[in-house]
Amino acid sequence: MDVKKSEVLQGTLDLMILKTLEALGPLHGFGIARRIEQVSRDVLQLNEGTVYTSLLRLQQQGWITAEWGTSENNRKAKFYSITKRGQKQLELETKNWERISGVIGRVLRLEAERES
Amino acid sequence: MSRRESRLRAFAAKVRGFLRRHRQDWEFDHEIQEHLQLLAERFVVAQGMSREDAAAAARRQFGNTTLLKEDRREMQTFLRLAALWQDWRYALRVLWRSPGFSATAIVTLALAIGANTAIFSVVNAVLLQPLPYPQPDRLVALMRSYPERNYWSISVPKFVVYREHNLTGGDRPKQVKEIHASAGYFDVFGAPITLGRLYTDEEDRPGGPHVAVISNGLWRGRFGADPTLVGRTVRLSGDPYQIIGVLGPGFKSDPPADIWLPLQADPDSTDQGQYLRAAARMRPEVTLGQAQAAMKLASEEFRRKFPDWMDSHESATAVPLRDTVVSGVRPALLILLGAVGFVLLIACANVANLLLARATLRRRELAIRASMGAGRWRIVSQLLTESLLLSLTGGALGLFIGFVGLHALLAIEPVSLPRIGEHGAELTLDSRVLLYTLLVSLFTAILFGLIPAISATREDLNATLRESGARSGGGFRQNKTRSLLVVTQMAMALILLVGAALMIRTFEALRSVRPGFDGHNVLTMEMALSGSRFEKTAGVAQTLREVEQRVGAVPGVEAVAGACCLPLTGGPDLPFAIVGRGPAFSSYSGDEQWRNVSAQYFQVFHIPVLRGRVFTPRDDAGSAPVALINEAMAKQFWQNEDPIGAQLLIGHGLAPEFEDAPRQIVGVVGDIRDYGLNNEPAPIMYVPEAQVPDGISALDNRLVPFVWAVRTKVAPFSLIAEIQQEVRAASGGLAVAHVRSMEQVVGESTARGDFNTMLIAIFAAVALLLAAIGVYGLMAYAVQQRTQEIGIRMALGANPEKVRKMVVWQGMRLAVIGVAIGVVAALGLTRFMAGLVYHVKTWDPSVFAAVAVLLSAVASLAAYIPARRASQVDPVVALRYQ
Repeated sequence: MDVKKSEVLQGTLDLMILKTLEALGPLHGFGIARRIEQVSRDVLQLNEGTVYTSLLRLQQQGWITAEWGTSENNRKAKFYSITKRGQKQLELETKNWERISGVIGRVLRLEAERES
Repeated sequence: MSRRESRLRAFAAKVRGFLRRHRQDWEFDHEIQEHLQLLAERFVVAQGMSREDAAAAARRQFGNTTLLKEDRREMQTFLRLAALWQDWRYALRVLWRSPGFSATAIVTLALAIGANTAIFSVVNAVLLQPLPYPQPDRLVALMRSYPERNYWSISVPKFVVYREHNLTGGDRPKQVKEIHASAGYFDVFGAPITLGRLYTDEEDRPGGPHVAVISNGLWRGRFGADPTLVGRTVRLSGDPYQIIGVLGPGFKSDPPADIWLPLQADPDSTDQGQYLRAAARMRPEVTLGQAQAAMKLASEEFRRKFPDWMDSHESATAVPLRDTVVSGVRPALLILLGAVGFVLLIACANVANLLLARATLRRRELAIRASMGAGRWRIVSQLLTESLLLSLTGGALGLFIGFVGLHALLAIEPVSLPRIGEHGAELTLDSRVLLYTLLVSLFTAILFGLIPAISATREDLNATLRESGARSGGGFRQNKTRSLLVVTQMAMALILLVGAALMIRTFEALRSVRPGFDGHNVLTMEMALSGSRFEKTAGVAQTLREVEQRVGAVPGVEAVAGACCLPLTGGPDLPFAIVGRGPAFSSYSGDEQWRNVSAQYFQVFHIPVLRGRVFTPRDDAGSAPVALINEAMAKQFWQNEDPIGAQLLIGHGLAPEFEDAPRQIVGVVGDIRDYGLNNEPAPIMYVPEAQVPDGISALDNRLVPFVWAVRTKVAPFSLIAEIQQEVRAASGGLAVAHVRSMEQVVGESTARGDFNTMLIAIFAAVALLLAAIGVYGLMAYAVQQRTQEIGIRMALGANPEKVRKMVVWQGMRLAVIGVAIGVVAALGLTRFMAGLVYHVKTWDPSVFAAVAVLLSAVASLAAYIPARRASQVDPVVALRYQ
């Protein structure tokens, strides 16, 4: 059960990172973590370390690339940016997500109606 | 993206990651450090935290960094692989640090694996390599089949009939350098052609042209690879032959030949001599069973056509060609392979014992590793890696030792095994031998490494760590494992020793066999009597007289003989009848051994005359036909009667040119062992050389060389030059070949058996040594462990004698159990040696008893050394001993 839960979460985080990189352009890990924090506020509590796991996974699939650069405060940092294939994947995943969340939403509403 | 593709990408990334793992480790650490620092700064700025609090808060928000790094490694590289690599390096360091142990283990393994490689490379060349012809498994030998056994020799009429029977025919008479072969021969063996052409079916008809095909070797050697050679005429046996073709370089015939002449088998032949070897290539769709059925059918047809020309219980069959080459040596080779396998197992047990002893020394090291979080599997794999490193190093060294050793052995003790070439030249390190050695090494590592590895990790961590260091001895279970190993070693050593003892008894028995002749001071040589003057017996008799005269005049020569064959080398058999007795006579068997010899043959070989007389020079073509028989023949056919005066009709039923006039038996001579020292003498009839029917002389001289035997008063080799010169001069310049002393001939007849005996004896000696080391090692270890206890005993008044006895008895108990198990196992296994031993039963009680006593004695000696040490323990020192 635990495993399945984390898989869902992993996938979600991957999707969020891809979207972030698409929207904001190249970012380092810290920046990505800040952006997600900003967007999700209190809804999503996350260990920022998991961002790095996710970044590795995305790199391995070739959806993002990493490059060394200099951060705002003049420090060496790895900047991640989305690739063409990553963009395609994002589109696909977004559609998937919308479809599934739509379905789940309907199912949940149905259940709710029956209960009431 | 498909799931599979995604996995593939992850895999590729892992490979990259593995190669760049150190760089990536550093980058990742850097990234995380940066992140933590930025987070902390943010806490300081936004919430006014102290530096320490901020750092702690940052770590909280970030999560477990170690776990993250582990996750990353797992994702980015092959953790197992990295660990494996680490294991190898660690193993190398560990083994390097204890060179004594490593060298002992590696040398033990190298010797055992080397012996296995050596024997396997022979097995590979002889039994496993396919015959050097295209699709060799389609080749069959066509044989005469009797209920007891098959014979690979058929007559011309049978060959002609069988050839018509749907099988492609080819044949090869027993010949030295030339092969008379039918046209089908080249099809059957897939002989490639380099130059010119092969002879056709037309040329292979009776009365066909004199044409010849020669080997590539002869073409290059004798004719300097002359491309215009085809069409040239050469003289063979004085007759002109036109060379029409040269075979390809890779073609090897068996027996090796340089010239192939058309057989020109006569379909109308009435010749009953079984001197052809027939082979066939089965069509792709034909199975061996079908071929055998076809041969049976062909033999039935032959019987219908020529009812008188076939024995009543004779049939025909097809046998895979490879079996005819190797079936004689297969049992011995498999027994050697088994023996050498036992040596390997014993060596494994020894190394396992070494490792177990070492494991007790390393218990603290392993316990510490375990307490630091190394899983059990991790430690087992670490220990197995060490074993693997030992066995692979041993295997590599063994490959070298085995190969060099085998060739050295073959150089010292040449043995004629089929298919291994001159001095084992054909024994090569091919991929199969390499693979075998590798597999044996891996198997060995698991065999000797697994038990120590598992038992080492079974221990109670806390107990080990709490114990006081170096002297933490092995627990009860470990000693039990080690004892078990020693018992097994003893049992296997006993089996090998019994095998060796049986072989040595056979060796002795063969040495004490009376062959019926005296080979001391006899020089022998062969000569091909080729040319038209030897197509009649008179020509042979003439040469014989001259050789007798000239060689007999050489100082130091006592007697000179010419004959078809030497004692111990076998010879032809011919059908015969006893005049006045019908075939109804109960022990009439049809065929018996037949030898044409000159008058002094019996004098040269000191074969005694038991009754009557031997041949004299007066028994020539002009005088009454006479014959001699040996004692075995007299016993079989005349029992208590006197055979002298009886008449033999030899060659009865053969082609007319082989038919003989009735011969009167004029004497009985002593038996000789003609088919190996281990075979009882067979009945033989002797005929004076000068009275041999012309047809038989012509055939003999075409097929097999004539032999000369000279008895000398001095060492035979000192007269080689003179004798050779005189023989050559007397024969009109014919070449002499294969000069040997008769003692050499005797030696060669037992060479293969002697070789097996030597190998098994070596293996048994190694096994004995290893087993003794095993017992010694265990007892020495046990004594060391119990020094304190022994010290207390002695302090309390036990006398040294008692202590010594106690230790020896403990060692002996294991040995005796091992011997008992070994005896039972050996009783079951030595049955397979029945074909190798002579004059000794495979369950010979005296052999078993002697071996059991020997092994026990060696074991007690091995236990005595530690026992003596134990009895010399100084109680004061022992009690302080840590």
